[in-house]
Amino acid sequence: MSDTTQFRVLDFDCPSCASTVERALSNVAGVQYVEVHYATGRVEIEYDDSVADPDAFVQTIESQGYTPQTA
Amino acid sequence: MNKQSITQYYRKHRKAIVTATSGLLYGGGWSLGYLTSFEMASAAILVLATIVGGYDIAKTAYHEVTNRTLGIKTLVTLAAIGAIVIGEYWEAAAVVFLFSLGSYLEGRTMRKTRTALQELLEMTPDTATVRHDGELQEVPAREVEESEVVVVKPGGKIPVDGDVIDGESAVNQAPVTGESAPVHKADGDEVYAGTVNQEGALEIRTTGAGSDTTLERIIRRVEEAQEAQSPTESLIDRFAKYYTPAVIVLAIGAYAVTQNAILSLTLLVIGCPGALVIGPPVSIVSAIGNAARSGVLMKGGEHLERAGKIDLVAFDKTGTLTKGETTVADVEGFGVADDEVLSLAATAEKKSEHHLADAIVDAARERPTAATDGGTTVARADDTDAGRRSVPDPDDFDVVAGKGVIGHTDGQEVVVGNRALLADRGIDIPSRVADYVREREGRGETVVHVVRDGDIVGAIALRDELRETAPSVVAALQDAGIETVMLTGDNKRTAAAVAEEVGIDEYRAELLPEDKQTVIEGYQADGHVVAMVGDGINDAPSLATADVGIAMGAAGTDTAIETADMALMADDLERIPYAVKLSKATRWNVLENVGLAVLTVTVLLAGVLTSYVTLAAGMLVHEASVLLVILNGMRLLRY
Repeated sequence: MSDTTQFRVLDFDCPSCASTVERALSNVAGVQYVEVHYATGRVEIEYDDSVADPDAFVQTIESQGYTPQTA
Repeated sequence: MNKQSITQYYRKHRKAIVTATSGLLYGGGWSLGYLTSFEMASAAILVLATIVGGYDIAKTAYHEVTNRTLGIKTLVTLAAIGAIVIGEYWEAAAVVFLFSLGSYLEGRTMRKTRTALQELLEMTPDTATVRHDGELQEVPAREVEESEVVVVKPGGKIPVDGDVIDGESAVNQAPVTGESAPVHKADGDEVYAGTVNQEGALEIRTTGAGSDTTLERIIRRVEEAQEAQSPTESLIDRFAKYYTPAVIVLAIGAYAVTQNAILSLTLLVIGCPGALVIGPPVSIVSAIGNAARSGVLMKGGEHLERAGKIDLVAFDKTGTLTKGETTVADVEGFGVADDEVLSLAATAEKKSEHHLADAIVDAARERPTAATDGGTTVARADDTDAGRRSVPDPDDFDVVAGKGVIGHTDGQEVVVGNRALLADRGIDIPSRVADYVREREGRGETVVHVVRDGDIVGAIALRDELRETAPSVVAALQDAGIETVMLTGDNKRTAAAVAEEVGIDEYRAELLPEDKQTVIEGYQADGHVVAMVGDGINDAPSLATADVGIAMGAAGTDTAIETADMALMADDLERIPYAVKLSKATRWNVLENVGLAVLTVTVLLAGVLTSYVTLAAGMLVHEASVLLVILNGMRLLRY
């Protein structure tokens, strides 16, 4: 089943950083659709919940040096 | 401080600590080299400064490379490594330190822009008091179900959307509508989550809770609007895609030709079009956020950029410049008692949904039941039910759009309508009727004729009061150099009287709904950028035709928000000059930011190619320009 989740990253410090996070998230297994908005810091992920684990999204964002908050 | 709290503190402030440490090392290394002859030690400290400050940057650069995106951190990492390789330790440390400092400040300022809307969400309380079988229970606000009854104490925040079923109070709706004056709420009135109950206790039947409230819907729309790219933004994004690779090719080419490593490394540093990419989104996000807090929903950067070019605002008259509460001002019978004229008209109009019909039917109901009272023309209000008259249903009735109604009752044909309808039916207007009509229209009232079996038996004058703010709003737009026009279905004389009262530049009268669209197209053909203000429901087509459609009183009506480019949550005309000026300020702000960015890049490129600008100076100017455009954009948050 497909599910969606949202995070908010308030500490993006450049637009290209947001695109890098977007690319990284789209490579996480089970992710069907990602949008990362630099200006609002909103991260929207649509994923297959039988494959992907939302914790993996948090780890991916953190490994890039940013702090996701649930929103 | 125990170990755990130190770790937490470090995590939270990591960027600041790293930047400060790298800065201190950089300063120390530089002074050591400058003041003493310990060159080896100085170099070592500068390399350490580069590593401390550059570790996080290099880590992100690694992710950029593995994810095949070309970002500024890759370029900075390459430049710093290059500088160390050729022995320019001071340049390496300076580039890394300045970049860290710049991005730390960028992150901090952007956080302010990003949290501007969250303040609105925090207005909704976390818990609600629900009445269950007579008992009061405290439950999480998000879990309140539809039709459950919520009790809100005086001074408390309303946790859900709903209808008042008991109590009376003044509610401050600023978080939703931007209006600072409290609104009176009683039985049957709608209240919104996040608003503040100021006076009496209210019992509310829930219609929406959690994410299904007006406030949350508005905020979701505002965010979508902030994220939608404006034409300027997409243009810049397309440009940026080619700019960075082009500069890298230039850097390699420059090294091949000149063998000047510093020159090509400096090119890498300025190879990210920083200020250019960041400027416009910051301006637009700040402006949309500011508007949202004032009760104006802007649908996106594209609409905002267009709104910045508005030079003509067209107002729909009824419900926009006027309050939209039509009442009967006068009834005049010609050879028939006034009262009879009113009840004939009311019967014919009873099934019509037109606002004039409602006013006539209401007036007929409010009239005293006693027999006609001679020449008195003003209805006496009588609140008791016994004093209210019932208005009989017509046998049949037809609406003639924009003209009036034709109905039958007790075997008589009753026509209620304007001159056009009478002309259509070949009914003559005697001069004393025409005189009466002219006199009332000269006061800005709308007059309908009442015709029984082909003879005019009376006329009814109706009045829709102007909003108190209308004249000052029109004046404010005129001061801003914007033309103002009123569009109305009313006849010319009424329109002229209202237009004069408001002080509007121009009016177009006797317009059928579809004519309003044609009028707007006409202005557009003359080269105007036209904004149309209406209620968003009756005039949806003209709102869609205008370059910028502005809907008023949109809180709670999704249709209005759908059709409009800009929606005023409250019925507050004064938001219009504000919104138009904010749009203009935003357009200028975007231009300033683009101009500043282009200027910076040009000066830097020229400086680098003539070897006046080296690594550290290039980075300093680059970061300064980025901060400058962010701060400039953020001015719009406080506009």
